[in-house]
Amino acid sequence: MSFDHALRLTEVLLALALIQQSLEHLRVFRRERLLFGARILLCGLVVAGAASPWPLVVLAGLSVLILQRFQGPYNGGSDRLGLLALWCVTLARTLPVEAWRELAFGYLGVQLMLSYFISGWVKIVNPDWRKGVALRQVFAFSAYPVAESLRGWADRPRLLLAMSWAVMLFELAFPLTLLSPPSLMVGLAVAATFHLANAGLFGLNRFFWTWLAAYPAIVWLQQRLF
Amino acid sequence: MANPFSLLAPALIPSWNFFDVIAASPRVEHALADTREATLEDWDEFRPRPQRLSPAVMLGRLVWNPRWNESLYLVSCAERLVEEPTVHGEDEIFRRIAADLAGRPGTRPWLSFRLQFIDAAGEREVLYQAAPRRLADIEVR
Repeated sequence: MSFDHALRLTEVLLALALIQQSLEHLRVFRRERLLFGARILLCGLVVAGAASPWPLVVLAGLSVLILQRFQGPYNGGSDRLGLLALWCVTLARTLPVEAWRELAFGYLGVQLMLSYFISGWVKIVNPDWRKGVALRQVFAFSAYPVAESLRGWADRPRLLLAMSWAVMLFELAFPLTLLSPPSLMVGLAVAATFHLANAGLFGLNRFFWTWLAAYPAIVWLQQRLF
Repeated sequence: MANPFSLLAPALIPSWNFFDVIAASPRVEHALADTREATLEDWDEFRPRPQRLSPAVMLGRLVWNPRWNESLYLVSCAERLVEEPTVHGEDEIFRRIAADLAGRPGTRPWLSFRLQFIDAAGEREVLYQAAPRRLADIEVR
């Protein structure tokens, strides 16, 4: 995948993900409608490829206003990756030297890899995760399960132990998938399935779309490095 | 109000420590009263989760999930409020509860909320309770 192709694919997927999120903000509050209505229009320009790179530049500026509005990301990690992707793509479109543009886009790919590896690392060093207790706690009392019936999973310790180790081992092994294009494709398919499960069980739909949007960056990075 | 660039920095240099520790988890509860001074006894959980969700609904939420995402935002506001109380955090929770209550007939005029945290042992503790506000004074548009 060429740099231009990967960058274009990332900006279009990211714009579509941001449109999906923005539509959810149009329901109630006037100030949010203004901010997110403007974001939808700008994302539409990005998808259409119009006036590039200015819609991205304005979107990056708008992202700071949105952060200020909510005094942080509205939806934690998913919004953080969305911001990172937006700023990386904007820099990859605007920096004057090709090597710098590649560096900005490559940084997104590196961070995507780290998002899995570090998440696995912080879990495996925690005895509660190694024993399956942490995942039991997620189902038992955290705010995430989308239905009361899912809390019953907390009473299935063997399943949760297996799920905990599957998640940790996959996350820790993810950097190894960069060794070849086919292994990376398998890794990304497993990762997307993981995000899909999180969207279903914990309502984390934004993670699914935002992480998917950043995948072309790591596909390009793998080909650039190996 | 935090400096916007201090808010942006953690996104540009992320830590990626998702679910590293499962901390006590907040529930937002609200109560209505006839007067500001009334004793608040009947607390209701704000947007309790449904008993069950069908796979079709879960799939639909992949593309349209505003209420749940708003509830997760309130969890962030609750955690921030307990860590460092701010007018912004309290305003956000009040506005979103009031918006849900808007248009309900016979709603009593004074609204308060509290943040109850549940820990790994199942113990519940109220770590924050907001002073009542008149519903009519809360901006819901």
